[in-house]
Amino acid sequence: MRYARLCLALAAALFAAATMAAAPPPAAAPAATAAGSHFVVDPAKSSLQFTFEQAGAASTGRFPRFGVTLDFPGADPAGGRLEVTVEVAALDTGDKDRDDTLKSDDLFAVKKFPEARFSAQQIVKTASGYEAAGKLTIRGVTRDARVPFTFREAAEGGVTAGYMAGKTLVRRLDFGVGQGEWKATDQAGNDVTVSFTLRLTRAAH
Amino acid sequence: MALRNTTRRWGVIAQTFHWVIVALLIVQVTLAEMADDLPLGVRKLSLLARHKSVGITILVLVILRLAWRSANVNPPLPDNLKPYERKAARFTHVALYVLLAAMPLSGWMMSSARGFPVSWFGFFTLPDLVPKNRALYDWLMMTHHTLAWVLFAVIALHVAGALKHHFVHKDDVLKRMLPFTHH
Repeated sequence: MRYARLCLALAAALFAAATMAAAPPPAAAPAATAAGSHFVVDPAKSSLQFTFEQAGAASTGRFPRFGVTLDFPGADPAGGRLEVTVEVAALDTGDKDRDDTLKSDDLFAVKKFPEARFSAQQIVKTASGYEAAGKLTIRGVTRDARVPFTFREAAEGGVTAGYMAGKTLVRRLDFGVGQGEWKATDQAGNDVTVSFTLRLTRAAH
Repeated sequence: MALRNTTRRWGVIAQTFHWVIVALLIVQVTLAEMADDLPLGVRKLSLLARHKSVGITILVLVILRLAWRSANVNPPLPDNLKPYERKAARFTHVALYVLLAAMPLSGWMMSSARGFPVSWFGFFTLPDLVPKNRALYDWLMMTHHTLAWVLFAVIALHVAGALKHHFVHKDDVLKRMLPFTHH
């Protein structure tokens, strides 16, 4: 065939073009797939802290062990679900006597209630970011809670990271954290501010 | 009743400083003793919170009292004291001022070293004097307790001296610090 070489060249060109078209685009921020996004916390780069009042003066503590998953169908958390589980027994206020007291039966009662959980089935967009509405369970007591937060995605060398931050006020007596003498609030304030700064990474479902 | 001191008598303000601090010291010791016997809990924290607040109050009163003293003429020691009595008097007075300041300061530092900021009766929080450090806390705890004993010893000397002036020398050294006595 006189056109054999031309045909082969065209075929090769077409084949190359088809291959290039089918290849994934150069890595920028990968868009959410049709199945949605699933983010999981990166514990090493995340913190969950709480601020409380002791004898009239502010003090802080942290929960070093916790898990967070954030799932959303679209391009941002709106319409998604948030699950947070906290290992309460690992709490750390920097003082062993105080930590032991906090874990005791009249306060967090960690032997009976080792885990605290926030489960939000509804996330909406707000003027300042997002708000997760759901159920907060502490010391076995479940109550409705709304937690505002900010969220932004960032491409970090082939990995999609999500940065989440926010804070919420929890009244410990609402959850029974404070029985017996610890119902009094002059030495251990009722209002506790829980704040979080999280790095999450996008994972496969 | 004169507000200010004269060379013969302490004024009402000086007397008030003196006896209010005496009363607060009694409160302090009581609060500390009560708290010491308790296990860690709300009651103990409550007593210690009050102990700290009263302690800071004493510190402020001592500073004001020293300022008032320097702005006033002060009744001198009697002329007829022997040199050792004169030295003992000066020593106990200086020691009292030093200890009355050292006690609340060491307590405040102790609380800072423990990482428990001091609140004055819940109205405001004092800055931490030292960084959080358990070893420092232990040392300051021991210092605070030891200084308390030294303070009790100096107070005992002070009271003994006052009583000696009153009953042995029969002079007006005690009377001039007592309200409602005129001479």
